[in-house]
Amino acid sequence: MKFLLNTGRTIRQGSFVERKNSPAYRNEASSCRMNPVDMMELGIEEGANVMVTGPAGTVVMRGVPEPGLRKGEVFVCLGPFANHIISTETHGTGMPDFKTTVVEIVPTDERIAEIWELMESCGGWRYEG
Amino acid sequence: MKVEDVICPFCGCLCDDLVVEVEGERVIGVENGCTLAQEKFMGDHRLGHPIRRTGKEWTPVSYDEAIETAARVLLEADRPLLYGWSGTQGEAQSVGVHLAELLGAVIDNTSTVCHGPSIMAIQEVGHPGCTLGQVKNRADLLIYWGCNPIDAHPRHMSRYTTYADGFFLKDAFRDRKVIVVDIRETESSNIADEFIRIDPGGDYEVLSALRAIVRGKGALVPASVSGVSREQLFRVADLCKAARFGAIFFGLGLTMSPGKQKNIRNAIELTEELNRHTKFTISPMRGHWNVYGSNEVFTWISGYPYAVDFARGIAFYNPGETTAVDILKRGECDACLVVASDPGAHFPRDCCAHLASIPTIQIDPHVNATTHLSHLQIPVAVTGIDAEGTAYRMDGVPIRTRSLFPSRYPTDTEILERIYAIVAREKGP
Ligand code: SF4
Repeated sequence: MKFLLNTGRTIRQGSFVERKNSPAYRNEASSCRMNPVDMMELGIEEGANVMVTGPAGTVVMRGVPEPGLRKGEVFVCLGPFANHIISTETHGTGMPDFKTTVVEIVPTDERIAEIWELMESCGGWRYEG
Repeated sequence: MKVEDVICPFCGCLCDDLVVEVEGERVIGVENGCTLAQEKFMGDHRLGHPIRRTGKEWTPVSYDEAIETAARVLLEADRPLLYGWSGTQGEAQSVGVHLAELLGAVIDNTSTVCHGPSIMAIQEVGHPGCTLGQVKNRADLLIYWGCNPIDAHPRHMSRYTTYADGFFLKDAFRDRKVIVVDIRETESSNIADEFIRIDPGGDYEVLSALRAIVRGKGALVPASVSGVSREQLFRVADLCKAARFGAIFFGLGLTMSPGKQKNIRNAIELTEELNRHTKFTISPMRGHWNVYGSNEVFTWISGYPYAVDFARGIAFYNPGETTAVDILKRGECDACLVVASDPGAHFPRDCCAHLASIPTIQIDPHVNATTHLSHLQIPVAVTGIDAEGTAYRMDGVPIRTRSLFPSRYPTDTEILERIYAIVAREKGP
C-alpha cells in the first residue's frame, strides 16, 4: 500500500540525539507511526516490523499506531532510517523532500538494522567504542 | 556547586535561566531546563580521544597527529566541502569560513536542510521579524505554522508565548490566542484555540486564500482550500485582524514541503498584508542552538548565509548548486570536514554513500552516525558546558554561553585554528 512519508522532530529523538549508538535512539528513529486503521488493513500488529520502500531504497522499521495521523500518511522522526529511503533530489533548492516522499509499506519478518549497519550499507565501518 | 543563569546549548530558544549543579567535571542536576536540556547537560557519552580508521580498523591517535592528518587531507583535496557548524560557537564558525576561503572550499551549514528556504525567501522579500522579548510582552495572537514547539522547542511557549505573562499581557494563558497549522495532530495542536489541519503540500494555497480574504477578496475563495473550510479561513482571518499584535512562527512544515521557499515568501507576504490592519511579525523556529549564528558569521565574512563556494577565489552562492546535499549527490567533493553536526543521520542515503567513499573528517564531541562514515574523528569540548563561546538565539540576539567546569578537551576553535595554521603555512603568503 502506498503512503505519504512525513518526517520531523520528536522529543525522544531530541533526547537521544547525542547517543546515536543507543537502543533508545534506534527505537525512536525506526518507529514508523501510522494510522491504526491502515495498520489493521495491512495486517500489522502494534510494534510489528514493516518494510518501507522509498525512491532511494528499502528499510525495515517498526509499525507504531498513531490515531492523530490521517489514513495514507505515515510519520518517522528525522534520522538515518527515514533518510535511508529519501531521494537526494532538491529541485534546485538544496532541500530534499523530507516531508512528502511516497513510500510503499508491507509487513515483514526481517529485523531492524543497527545505526552502524545502515552506515555500513553506505560504505562506512562501525565504531562501537 | 550551583551555577545560575546558565545558557542551554540545545535548541534555538537558547534559554538563559537554567540552574546547573556541577560536581568536579560532571553535571549532577539541572533546574528549569526541559527534557532536552536535561539530556544534554547530564549526558556522559563523549568520545574520549581522537580516532582514525584504516580500512575496517579504528585506532586511537593523538591530537597532534589528528590535526596534522586533517590539514593534509584538506590540502590534498581539489574540492573540499566544510559542512555543519550549527552546534558550535561563533568563534569556530569564523575560523571555518576563513579556512574555506584559504582552501577555495565550499562551506555550508545545517540551514541547508532546515531553514535554507526561509533565508531564500527573506532575500526575496525581507523579514518583518522582532525579538522574542517583543512577542512575550506584546503578542496576543500566536500562529505556529508547520511546527511543533512542544517537541522541538519545549520551552518556547512557556518562556515567550502561550504560558508566559508579559508586560502588556498579565494573564497570558487567557489573553493570548494560539492557532496551530499542521498536516497532523501534535501535542502543540492539542492545546491550540484553533487548529487548521491542511492537506500535505497545501500550505501555499491556504496562505494565498488567507491573503485574499485579508485583502478583501474573500469572495474568490472556494468552499474548501487544501482541506480547510472557507468558514475556518474567514474565522482565522478575523482573529488575525482583531489582534493587537500577532506573531507567526513557522517551522520545517513550510520549508520542506512542496513550494519550499515560495511557501515562506507567501507567509511573509501574508504578514505584510496583515500589517495593513494591525501589527504582525513572522519568524522561523530555528532548530540548532547556534544555527542562526552560522548564518550571521558566514554573512559577515562572505556576504552569504550558507552554501558559500570559494572555488573561484571569491564568494559564490547558489542554493541548489552549492548546497551540501547537491554537492554530495553529484559526487563532487573529494574530501569533507564535518563540524558539529551529523549528516550521516540527516542526509539522504546517497549523500552518506559519497561521504563514506571520500576522506571524511569529523570534529564532534560524540559518536554519531557520521562517525561510522568517517576516517578520522576529533572530540572537542561542548560549548555551553565545558567551553564558553558566542551563540545567536533564533531571533538573532547574540548570547555568550558559559563554561561550567574546566575541560579535558580542546575547543572546536582551537582545533580549527591549528588546522588553519598548517594550511596557511603550506599555502604560503
Ligand atoms: S527549550 Fe531549548 S534552549 Fe530551552 S531548555 Fe529546552 S532545549 Fe534548552
